[in-house]
This record gives sequence, structure tokens and C-alpha cells, in this order.
Amino acid sequence: MYLDPDKRVDLATAASYVHDGHMIALGGGLSARLPMAMVRELIRQGRRDLHVVGSAHSMDVDLLIAAGALAICEESYVGFEQDLGLAPAYRRAAETGTITVKESCCVTILTQLRAAEMGLPFLPVRGIKGTDMRRLHPEYAETTCPFTGEVLVAVPPLKPDVAIIHAPVGDAFGNLFMEQPYVLDEHFAGASKSVIATVEKIVPTEELHDRGVVIPGYFVQAIAEVPFGAHPASCYPSYSYDRAHMSTYVQAAAKPESADGYVADWVNVPGGEDEYRNKVGAESLTRLTQWSESIDQWKGLFS
Amino acid sequence: MSSYTFDEWYVIRLARTISDREVVFHGFASPCAQVAMHVAKRTHAPNMMLIEGAMYAINPDPPFIPPTSNDSSLKRGAAYSMRFEEFFDAAIRGDVDRMFVSGGQIDMYGNTNVTAVGPLERPKVKLGGGGGGCNISATIKQLTLWTTRHRSGRTIVAECDFITDIGHRTPAGTREELDYTGGGPQCLVSELGVFDYDSQGRMRLQELWPDVTVEQVREATGFEFAVADEVIPVAPPTQAELDVLRAIDPLGVRRGEFDPREMEREFDLVGAGV
Repeated sequence: MYLDPDKRVDLATAASYVHDGHMIALGGGLSARLPMAMVRELIRQGRRDLHVVGSAHSMDVDLLIAAGALAICEESYVGFEQDLGLAPAYRRAAETGTITVKESCCVTILTQLRAAEMGLPFLPVRGIKGTDMRRLHPEYAETTCPFTGEVLVAVPPLKPDVAIIHAPVGDAFGNLFMEQPYVLDEHFAGASKSVIATVEKIVPTEELHDRGVVIPGYFVQAIAEVPFGAHPASCYPSYSYDRAHMSTYVQAAAKPESADGYVADWVNVPGGEDEYRNKVGAESLTRLTQWSESIDQWKGLFS
Repeated sequence: MSSYTFDEWYVIRLARTISDREVVFHGFASPCAQVAMHVAKRTHAPNMMLIEGAMYAINPDPPFIPPTSNDSSLKRGAAYSMRFEEFFDAAIRGDVDRMFVSGGQIDMYGNTNVTAVGPLERPKVKLGGGGGGCNISATIKQLTLWTTRHRSGRTIVAECDFITDIGHRTPAGTREELDYTGGGPQCLVSELGVFDYDSQGRMRLQELWPDVTVEQVREATGFEFAVADEVIPVAPPTQAELDVLRAIDPLGVRRGEFDPREMEREFDLVGAGV
């Protein structure tokens, strides 16, 4: 438990808790609440050989791969849905063998996190048998139910070194409020050795209590305020996702040279996140915050 | 006389695989299934429980279907937002009646591959991955399979290079032998035809789109499939179904699943306005 009453740090300090070779869990999912600012900072700091675990993700994982920071990918999905298609860097790395793919299933990951949360050596799942998933996971085993005799697949606990979670608001102690879907964030917090949080805004604890605590601060080791810290993913209620920027990334990531170009232009910039936001532009960012003004405004962000 | 396009008819046919009072779920990256669920809810299945994939929102009233499946627009007006584990627990204990499943490869028993085409160590195509399908395809009561890529000849194959989600049987055994409580694939809706599964769990042609022949289906399929004694034409959509579909999907996200040439398939609405 992390009981320091004031855990506020800057982004670079927060990122320093993640070490080369760590198993990390990235919060949010698909196009929502991805901890993109922390992902960019880890790349700036040259982190290597990371092992990422989680459910369905997109640009967070793909960008780490494009920048050469990832060694093992244990997600249930990495891609840009039907809209923008397969994840270019993930696909290239998997097809050329430059990362180890340990693709998993949402239920299996959830079960493994629950085992870690409960301090248990394993838990069973009813699925997996008959599929090819165990070819990717020699660590799974079988267990026989002592009551019914049913043979089930046993999976070990998953204890990430660091969970990296982005939320709209938090307080100095690290309590976090977020909107649904929480995805696996609550379980990441309970199963991981440490949580590093970024938030749009750090607010007084009373104000946070009015919104409601979703992730309790005792799981959180450090918290950094980073406006637009999920961009180009969404962070409702603050802003919608930036489909145009995601599309720019997907096009750039299609080839190694242009993927390097994206990392050089948008990530490895001397001014860090301030420069990133300036490059995206105040006008674009403001437009993303105006999703709630009308249905047409909201819909217009996606056309 | 008004007309409609193939993508519209296809989604409406998918919607008709849903019965009223079913608990139904679609995964992410599944716009045809997603739109189909909203069409069913607003037409013949008003009492279905619609679980919006990736938001786990129950019976939402989205102002439009966005191109990403965890946008907040998809939980607007929802009766409840399930936590991730509330949905998956319901699915694995058998409380979900139907799920929509697709894949880069689908075999004759309805096993699907969303992991990798080609050798696993050096895949020819690394697909995105299966989300939660691997476990919950074993326990959800009925599966509606769909693909919009049958015509490619690469999708409906004799054997999947990797089995991500389970159909009626795999080399390891049948569902019964594997202690699986779900019923497996009930039907497969493709852009060439509609199939059910026989008592051995094998795909069987039941319905054809009017502009497709059995021979065309055979050419596109990687194995000999059974054909029902009487193959019937797919029933046309109603004006009411088309109206609902167009209202819920103004951005046309469903079209992203189709090869552009399928968009050239247009049909006249017979009996419009009756």
C-alpha cells in the first residue's frame, strides 16, 4: 500500500518508476483513456524490453512497438477496429519475429489478475480447451475439479510491475475518478505492484469525493497532471478521440521509415508534452472538447 | 419504387438471427453485428437485452454508431453500464444467449481464427486478436457467425491455421467432450448465402441472395458443404427495417466491412409503402 499523502510528481519522474524489462499494464482500451502521454514519455526515456499485458488496445501498444520499446505483447487484441484496420507496427513485428506474441483472451487475463488480487497460485477457466491458445502459452496447465471431476485449464497469477492508468481527475493521494468503461483498470490496480497515474487535472480531495473514487489512492505510487494525456485517444468527459490523428499515425506506421518519422516528429521532441500539444494545435484540441455541444458536433468528430 | 443496397439487406438479415427476449452481445470491431443488434431491438425484438460491446452498456440509445466501439456515445441512455467482469462473468456462467463472431478464417465446424494466418511463428498475416471470444464462445448459448469476405476464397476454409474461438468441434473433440455448456454456431451469414449447421456440426447452405448461385458459393468455399433440400431466397427487408437501420447508422460504419464491389449490389424494394 502506498500511504504517502502527497504523491504528485512530474511526468518524467512518474515514468522513471518503469524500468527496462518490466511487465506493464496499460489502462483504458481501444480508443478510450489510453495513457498516451506516459507511453510517449517512456519512449523519450528510451525504455526497452517491456512486456505489456491487457485486453483490447490500439495505438498505445502499436507505438511502443514502432519505437522498439516492447519485447513481449500479451494483449487480447491490438488493432484499430474495422475503421482503420490492423495495427501496422504490431503486425510487422509479429510477422518478422521481432517481438514475442503471447496473444491472450480477455477472460483469461481477467482471471489471472484476479488470482494475483487474491494472492492465489492459480485459478481455472472453462474455455481454452480445444483452441490453439495454449500454443502461445506453455505456462498454462490443467487441473481437475475435486468436486465434479471436470478438467479445466489452470492459469497462473499475473502481477504486472507497474500499471499505467490515465483518468480525467485525481487528487494528491492518487485517488482516481473515471467514467465507464473502466475496462481492466480496477484489476490492474489490485494486481500490480505499483500504479503510476496521469490525470487531466489534480483536484482537492473533497472535489474528487463528489465525483466518486474508482481507483483508491492506496494502490497509486505517483500521480502526474498531464492535460490531454490520453490524446489521440478519448478521455470523456473531457474530450473525444482524435480520429484524424489516429489515422495519420496508422498511415505513418505502415512502413518502418515513416513510423520512425512519426516517432521523431511527435514523440522524441525536445519540448516533450508541451511541444506535442502545440503541434496538435489548440484549435484541434478545443474541437475535441466540444463534443457535448450538440449531436451534430459530436457526430462531426467522426465523419 | 425505392431501392436499397446490399450492406443494408445484409445487416437486416443479421438482425433477424436475434429473437425477442434474448441477451445479446457483439464484440468490438464488429459494425455489421453492432448495427444489426440495434435494428433488431427497434423492430422485432423490443425486449432483447442489448449489451453494447466494449462499453458493456445495456440497452443504450446512441445518437449514431461511431467508428470505434468504446466511444461514450454508445452508452447514452443506457439502463446500466456493466463492469468488464460483470459482462464476462455473465457470459462464462451461461447467462448470455447470443454473441456475434467473425474471423479472418472460418472452418466447416464454425471454428474461427482471428489470431494469425500462416505459420504461428512467422505468420503471413498477424490478425488483431480475439478479445474475449476464446473463452466465451464455449459458454454463450448461441453464436451467430458472420463474414463479408466469403467471396475472397480465403475466409471459409477447410481448416483454420489457428483456432481462436471454438465452433462445434475441433481436433480435440466435440463441445460435449470438452464439457462446454454453450450451443455453438447456430448460423453463418455471408455475403453469398446463409448457412446452418447439421447434426454433425457441419455447415449447410440454407438461403441464397438472389444475385448469387450455388456454384459461386462452391467456388468461394474451401470444402464440400451440404446443401439443404430446398434452398430459399433470403427474405427481403421491410421499409420499417430500412428506416431504422438508416437512422441508427447515419455514418455508415457498417460499410467498412465490405469489399467495395459488394456496394454495387442494389435491389428494388417491392411493395414499398404498403
